[in-house]
Amino acid sequence: MAQPRDRSIATRVGVDVGGTFTDLVLERRDGDEARIVVHKVPSTPSDQSIGVVRGVTEICRIAGIAPDEITLLFHGTTVATNMVIERRGAEVGMITTRGFRDILHMARHKRPHNFSLQFDVPWQSAPLVKRRNRIAVTERLMPPDGRIETPLDEDEVRAAAELFAKRKLDAVVIAFLFSFLNNAHEQRAKEIVQEVMPDAYVCASSDVVNVIREYERFSTVAMNAYIGPRTASYLQQLEGRLREAGVHAPVRIMQSNGGISTVENSIRRPVGLLLSGPAGGVIGARTTGEACGRPNVITIDIGGTSADISVIRDGQLTIKNPRDTQVALLPVLVPMLDIDAIGAGGGSIAYVDAGGAFRVGPRSAGADPGPACYGQGGTEPTVTDAQVALGRLDPDQFLGGDLKIDAALARQSIKTHIADPLGLSVTDAALGILRIVNNNMALAINAASVAKGVDPRQFTLMAFGGAGPLHGVALGEIIAAKDVISPLHPGITAAIGLLETQLQYEYTRSVLTVLSRAGADEYAMLEDSFAQMIAEGAAQLESDGIATDKRHYQRVIECRYVGQGFELRARLPDGPVTAASLDAVIADFYEVHKQVYGHAFDDQLVEAITLRVIATGATVPLQLPAIPRGGRTDPAEARSFVRETVFDDGQVLPTPRYARGKLLADDIVRGPAIITQHNSTTIVPPGYTARVLSHGDITISR
Amino acid sequence: MTETVDPITLQVIGGALHSIAEQMGNVLYRMSYSSIIRESQDLGAGLFDRDFNTLAESDSTPMHIGSLPGYLRGIEKSIPLDAWKPGDVVIHNHPYYGASHSPDIAIVMPVFNDGELVGFSANTAHHVDIGAATPGLIIDVPDVYSEGMLLNGLKLYDEGRRNETLWRYIRENTRVPSLVMGDLAAQVASAELGVRRFQELLAQYGTATVIQATRQLMDYSEAMLRREIAKIPDGDYTADGFLDDDGRNRGKHLPVKVTVRVRGDGVEVDLTGSSPQVPTAFNVPFEGSTKVACYFAFRALLLDTYTNTDPIPANEGSFRPVKVTAPPGCIFNPIMPAAAEARFSQIQRVADCIIKALAPVLPDRCTAGNAATLSFAAYSGVRPSGDYWVFLEVNEAAMGGRPNSDGPDTVEELMRNTRNNPIEDLGMHLPLICDRYEVRDDVMPGAGKFRGGMGVVKSQRFIGAGSITHEADRHDDVPWGIFGGHPGHGGRVEVYNAADRSKVGQHPAKFSGLLTNPGDVMSYLSPCGGGYGNPIERDPAKVLDDVLDGFIDPPHAHDVYGVVLKPVDDGYGWAVDLPATEKRRAGMS
Repeated sequence: MAQPRDRSIATRVGVDVGGTFTDLVLERRDGDEARIVVHKVPSTPSDQSIGVVRGVTEICRIAGIAPDEITLLFHGTTVATNMVIERRGAEVGMITTRGFRDILHMARHKRPHNFSLQFDVPWQSAPLVKRRNRIAVTERLMPPDGRIETPLDEDEVRAAAELFAKRKLDAVVIAFLFSFLNNAHEQRAKEIVQEVMPDAYVCASSDVVNVIREYERFSTVAMNAYIGPRTASYLQQLEGRLREAGVHAPVRIMQSNGGISTVENSIRRPVGLLLSGPAGGVIGARTTGEACGRPNVITIDIGGTSADISVIRDGQLTIKNPRDTQVALLPVLVPMLDIDAIGAGGGSIAYVDAGGAFRVGPRSAGADPGPACYGQGGTEPTVTDAQVALGRLDPDQFLGGDLKIDAALARQSIKTHIADPLGLSVTDAALGILRIVNNNMALAINAASVAKGVDPRQFTLMAFGGAGPLHGVALGEIIAAKDVISPLHPGITAAIGLLETQLQYEYTRSVLTVLSRAGADEYAMLEDSFAQMIAEGAAQLESDGIATDKRHYQRVIECRYVGQGFELRARLPDGPVTAASLDAVIADFYEVHKQVYGHAFDDQLVEAITLRVIATGATVPLQLPAIPRGGRTDPAEARSFVRETVFDDGQVLPTPRYARGKLLADDIVRGPAIITQHNSTTIVPPGYTARVLSHGDITISR
Repeated sequence: MTETVDPITLQVIGGALHSIAEQMGNVLYRMSYSSIIRESQDLGAGLFDRDFNTLAESDSTPMHIGSLPGYLRGIEKSIPLDAWKPGDVVIHNHPYYGASHSPDIAIVMPVFNDGELVGFSANTAHHVDIGAATPGLIIDVPDVYSEGMLLNGLKLYDEGRRNETLWRYIRENTRVPSLVMGDLAAQVASAELGVRRFQELLAQYGTATVIQATRQLMDYSEAMLRREIAKIPDGDYTADGFLDDDGRNRGKHLPVKVTVRVRGDGVEVDLTGSSPQVPTAFNVPFEGSTKVACYFAFRALLLDTYTNTDPIPANEGSFRPVKVTAPPGCIFNPIMPAAAEARFSQIQRVADCIIKALAPVLPDRCTAGNAATLSFAAYSGVRPSGDYWVFLEVNEAAMGGRPNSDGPDTVEELMRNTRNNPIEDLGMHLPLICDRYEVRDDVMPGAGKFRGGMGVVKSQRFIGAGSITHEADRHDDVPWGIFGGHPGHGGRVEVYNAADRSKVGQHPAKFSGLLTNPGDVMSYLSPCGGGYGNPIERDPAKVLDDVLDGFIDPPHAHDVYGVVLKPVDDGYGWAVDLPATEKRRAGMS
């Protein structure tokens, strides 16, 4: 695919903030020449922007450029998510329909645990909007057409707003029943509140997510208001600090849906940022997959306490079923990449429970005290300790020698807590820890793939995050993946992904139309609705300065069989809406249904529930530089030393170490081998062969 | 003889079994049509060995978890083990052959490996209508034959060949074939998935290893429960209560008596002394319902998944330490042909009475009295086209106060855990409109150090004519307070026309086929839980919260909790007057 030649100099920086580290990548492009610099600094959890600015300043220095040469800065942040998890959001007021004050309190009335009497109900014990601040007003809209049965009592709205003002609330949401059919009452109430509280963060449910299902819509708008004021101040503070540091480039924020957005739009709709953190990694994995000629990739991002799993099919990111989009058990009806998290990572603790069962995780030693081998007070064995005990992580080389680890402590903790109680050798216990944790991860991968109609045999497994390449081959074997990729920079895949995103905005309308019965009126209505949404998208992209030829609009109809409760996405072909194009939608829906559930019905009516327009503005893709060609087999120049290493089948083999930085394109490394780099280690078991590709990524297969 | 499976392989196989059951449940509720399955998730799915032991079950509605072995034992009466063939699909719902109750239809498929029957993949789901005397639900009926289709171990597929006659029979004997047939198809898809995945697991590890692993996993779950039972002092613990009536004989309370006999690491639940069976459908199938309630109570009390972080595999092992006794002819073990469809409120009371009986010896694990009922409303009507519409709604209630926290408000308690239906979705598809759905505000919560949960009020208005059958209980026997906590409140049912709110009819909790006119509204007000501990020990800040949130008023805070409030002008209106509160509380104790 020919890219337009760009003669200008451009410098783009991606900054991904994680729990422990802030990862950075800088791309300097001068005409056809592109250069990449990567960097890592400690995160600053109390104010993420401090670490961001420090990292940006440092990476500029490393790259030898001035901060004001940066032309665009991309940012993935966990600010919004942490605010929800830690419940540090705004004090929110809510104006809602009389008779329905407690929709947020009742939720879907299902409790979070089946077999428990003492369970917590987070939406009651730590609500986004306290009951005292939920005020019901007189108004009533009626289905199925949104006609007004009872007009809005504006005086009641004003009185509520005045009370909220007196209570000094930061934010107010308006959420009326059936507002997805008619937003007039919500909009009028919003105007009144804004008059009374000009400085408050005010939003209406139909503005934030204009779809059917009251609890989910109300929860989404409440979440938006809850995180709105503080997300706004974070982003504004970040922009301010960057300017002080000499960075004048526009800042773009990673969204949950895999696109990026402007700061202004992120402030208006912070609810779109809740998966900003993990989304970058999935995009980075897609980029790497494409660079490796592998459009079908299962990604697993393995960190210290958890692993994030996602599936990329034909180069397309997977969007989560709206039924499942939630944060901290609270539903958020915004498109999110389908990323499943599991509590398994390098810090996961292995133990024998009271009934004698051998378990690993989800409890984690985290960064503090960390694994036993860190010698920082951790005594319980972790997955990392097992790797050390098996000789797969070299104590003197850990983080390039930056962190000293003690293999004896690792072995001792495994002996005390696992090997002795179960009557196993330390080696068998360590192998057991890995087998159990790998199995837990593999089951989670299966739930994200096989259970959703994805056949892993057609997919490449890409394991990243610092610990990813230690597990890659073992996981690939369990799930029967085609092969495994260890990306060039496993530890900063998410930051790289940020440079690969495009601007993306989504617009929705609820319609509820049976497609197979649609006639001229419905065609016109659908055309009209889509045209309105596309116009909204065009206006947004125009204001972002995206040229007309770089804009793209995808039209989606979210459908279900009449009577079903959950929708799936089907694509509407370009061109006018006709019987033929709706037939194509039905056919697409049928295929998706079959893939997701294993079955589809050809004799059932299909109903459209939600129309969606995904408006994107193309940005320049990242150009990863090629590395020099080596073409060697087991290159001695890259080999450092040989050590005994235990592999999953229990074999103890003298295993050479290769320095990843010295491997060149088309080099081949035959297992057993261990490939090391500053913050990551790739295992090539006996019988496997690693091949270095043109950009430095490695594929591993039998 | 098979060798013991090593602890590592055991975890691997255990994880795989759990994951298969979860996926089966997932496919079932996502594919299904009726709201009772897809939204409410009133279903269960799992894998079983050829001795009908539960190997793994989906984490769905507790009522279904533990009921499937009863179905399998019932099916064996018509299909002996050697009569199963690969590709068979059996349908079953007979309450006197192990079914939980007749609307909970099971779909069962055999799992073969190397030509040998290894076990079963099966699921149950609550169907909207099986052609009973009244649409959706039944109360006042003479016998089990009024419940509708009784499907006793029939092959829907015979070695993979579809039994068209049976499918047609079912289609023509339900009021809502479009829902029921789609739901059955979803159940078959879910069972097929279980067969396929179980076979893959058997192929990978071998039948002997997998079966041996399942035995060890069952032993493990059993041991974990027995460990906890052993900590309870041996003794006989009793609790009792009563049910409102049987849905026909008004005013005639029905006693529930529970004796829990703890002996070492085993326990027996004896329901002797409870009401004799009743002449309506308000009886409880023993195998598929009564026993399941007892299994639930001990798992929830002793292996609480919130306070215990180690996941205990959901399998037969957790049933073994619990023996259940109910004399034949008792409401909990009726004799054929008594109808036994409306059984949920009774088994909720069994679970709640077990908690009450053990509360003195398990003060840190119990609850105060829970609502322990179930409001099940069947709304129905006939569309202009002549087709029926039937909507089954489960209304939540509340829990009692707990050792460290308030009873949750408006929640699915004990044996049930369904999801509500979005009222906007209903409004778009049914001639029924919700006028009110909120926390009850006509009463204040059962007071306590940790207060009881508040129930719900839900009002549904008919747009056209139709009918309602309602199955619930506990208008009369109020949820108890415990350790000084105050009792909660009973439930209520009101029926009125939206055009004239002055005439409100109070109805019993159970009624059958009430005809409705356009504009008629049924309001259900669910029971509220009792309080735990003395109210004057409640944190004054929590009392203030309840005042500000409108759960209680300042005089109640003063009189019952001994908390004195003073007016403040901050928009909220009240603050705690701490010195006055301390003085008032000192005078109360």
